[in-house]
Amino acid sequence: MSGTDGFSPKIVAYVCNWCTYLGADLAGTARLEYPPNVRIIRLPCTGRIDTNLVVKAFEVGADAVLVSGCHPGDCHYTAGNYHARRRWMLFRDLLEVVGFDMRRIYFTWISAAEGRKFQQTIEEITEQTRALGPYRPYEVEPAATPCSGCAACSAGSDPSHDREGAVADSPAQAHLRETAARLLSGGAVKVVIGYGRRGPAFITRPEDAARLVWNQTCFANLTTYLKRQEVRALGKPAIVLKGCDERALVVLEKESQVERAEVHTIGMACPGMGQPKCESCDTRQPRFADEMIALDGRPAPTPTADRYAALDPLLEMPPEARLAFWTAEFDRCLKCYACRQVCPMCYCERCLADKNRPQAIDTSPHRKGNFAWHLSRAIHLAGRCVGCDECTRACPAAIDLRLLNLALARAAETQFSYRAGTDPAAEPLVGAYSLTDKEEFIR
Amino acid sequence: MTTLTPDGLRKLVGEWMAAGKICVGPVRVKPGTELFTRLASPEELLLDGWVRPANSIKEWLLPRHEVLYGYRVEKNRIELLDQPETVPEQIVICAHPCDAAALPVLDQVFNWDFRDEAYNRRREATTVITLACTAHDQECFCTSVGLGPDAERGSDAMLTPLGDGQFAVSSLTEKGRAALGKAEADGHAGRTNAPPVRFVPRQVARFAVDHFADPFWQAQSLACVGCGACAYTCPVCHCFDIVDEGNGREGVRARNWDACQFPLFTLHASGHNPRHGQGDRQRQRIYHKFHVYPEKFGETLCTGCGNCARNCPAGLGVLPLITEIPHAEPVQA
Repeated sequence: MSGTDGFSPKIVAYVCNWCTYLGADLAGTARLEYPPNVRIIRLPCTGRIDTNLVVKAFEVGADAVLVSGCHPGDCHYTAGNYHARRRWMLFRDLLEVVGFDMRRIYFTWISAAEGRKFQQTIEEITEQTRALGPYRPYEVEPAATPCSGCAACSAGSDPSHDREGAVADSPAQAHLRETAARLLSGGAVKVVIGYGRRGPAFITRPEDAARLVWNQTCFANLTTYLKRQEVRALGKPAIVLKGCDERALVVLEKESQVERAEVHTIGMACPGMGQPKCESCDTRQPRFADEMIALDGRPAPTPTADRYAALDPLLEMPPEARLAFWTAEFDRCLKCYACRQVCPMCYCERCLADKNRPQAIDTSPHRKGNFAWHLSRAIHLAGRCVGCDECTRACPAAIDLRLLNLALARAAETQFSYRAGTDPAAEPLVGAYSLTDKEEFIR
Repeated sequence: MTTLTPDGLRKLVGEWMAAGKICVGPVRVKPGTELFTRLASPEELLLDGWVRPANSIKEWLLPRHEVLYGYRVEKNRIELLDQPETVPEQIVICAHPCDAAALPVLDQVFNWDFRDEAYNRRREATTVITLACTAHDQECFCTSVGLGPDAERGSDAMLTPLGDGQFAVSSLTEKGRAALGKAEADGHAGRTNAPPVRFVPRQVARFAVDHFADPFWQAQSLACVGCGACAYTCPVCHCFDIVDEGNGREGVRARNWDACQFPLFTLHASGHNPRHGQGDRQRQRIYHKFHVYPEKFGETLCTGCGNCARNCPAGLGVLPLITEIPHAEPVQA
């Protein structure tokens, strides 16, 4: 189909069973006419409408998507629509950064009595979508490689290649080794999870404590190992934590993945590891550690960059350019799942991406499968990702996943004053809702 | 001796592209990240300044996602849609010897009890022009598996940097001669740079067989996070999964890469998993590369490229694991 002549848009409407579906029903029984372009999919509640479904609709050729449910206060499950509203706020910011055409995504509250509003909404969406023409987000031309150095991306050289070089003795390192040996020989813990010369090290005997290092290569977030069955089988762990890593532990504890009393924490005052995440770090000092190892006399450097500055070049681009940028990024994805596997927050025993009944996310590493995977991964980390950037570091294809996480962290902070892992007492962002959540985007 | 300048090479690449051939070579996609990529222009092609790309050329023989056939359902009629019989000619430029050597290894797997048409079609349409290595890093170990920075195995033609920016050209096969003309090698005038021999494959195989149930594997694999970065960037890892994608009306059957480090790789429908943890899975990777494949086909399923170690987020990989095996290192002469 070329141009908009004779173009008949496909609109997918995800509606809740109790309000909007009945509103649509009322429109029908009242003989109100509206364009036949809408495919209604009835779900129990907007709280059940997974953001994947919106992506899926575009994947199979929708030109616009409507999500609609009960007005605030009307939810038949008390608060499903409040939960949904909060999720949509975050999801919209994610899609915005990825460059999806936001003029094609609609959110409305339509009650069982609003047959007329349903009719008008569908008329309006059909008209607007017809004017926009067909939507083919998966057919855009990817941004050119090699990169033009536009500064949009911060991924790139993986410092792990230079590991062997940087091994220096320091008082902090000696202190760390003594601490590990003491904990192990006293039987307080069975394993010390720390950094070795090549990466994570698991020390089980006091005499091996000398294998631990503390230097510029200790950028990994080791909390991801707390979930691994092979590590759990070793017995009570002590774990070496930087301030940023500790935030991950706070989230894991909040989500009942870790019992704090079952993990001994060795906090390291961190001089910065030279990573992009370090430039804006304001948590160099662990706050809740069982014991602390101080910096070697040097004061901790202060943050030099705005937390979300890395997003600026991307946000300055028009949406089409953002979509082209992400298309080029995602086209390199091999679906090796290194991003998921290194993530401390990805602890599901079976990931949605590994389930095939139903197949929510195509397993294939083609463009649609990759978009679905990365959008799903990102939204699942909303309000949970602490910005350790392990996903970005692990990616063999240098996909700048950091930017997706940053976009959601920014959404959480600007819209909800929420930063993952900073306040152990705060309710989880996505598990909670507020009656005052903004909803100017919902009609 | 036949020589080629970088400009001369780029000019040839431009001609191949103009003739409709798919040209593949190392491209810098980000500062510090080089990947074999389908070239959009000859200028993208990197000719020096990297150790090796983070991926391998197997993508062009066994794509990460390959449609095997399609289907269409109309009323009671089901139509199967075959893939085209021919694939466009493709030329890989600046493959490394450890990439090129993977092809004869893959040939055996895909022609052993079943002749894999999809693979063979691509294989026949592919010409590999290898660039001898002038640099190696701590992860390189081609010399430990019988190859080297100027090994010709699997290459159709070889470019050897002469140190003055030019390349000595030698065409090794008909395909090589078709691409670069008759070019004779006259000894190696070039500068290559071999990594030291770091282990003896036979001893690795013996250890893997003799210590199958040893706690060694578990202890050395604690850092493994269970991703597929090692296998997916390996030039010779070739496992794949078959998936159906589509709806009741139309769709495709496709094959996607799969990797032995995923728990799902061996998970039975019953819920039983014969490989219990990453220790079992890392052992499998070494065992297959150094024992199973050599026993069946007479050579090692590893070309020593070191990609597994460079790409591992946890500092593992073939060489780091083997380094921990007692007595795997060669006896010093």
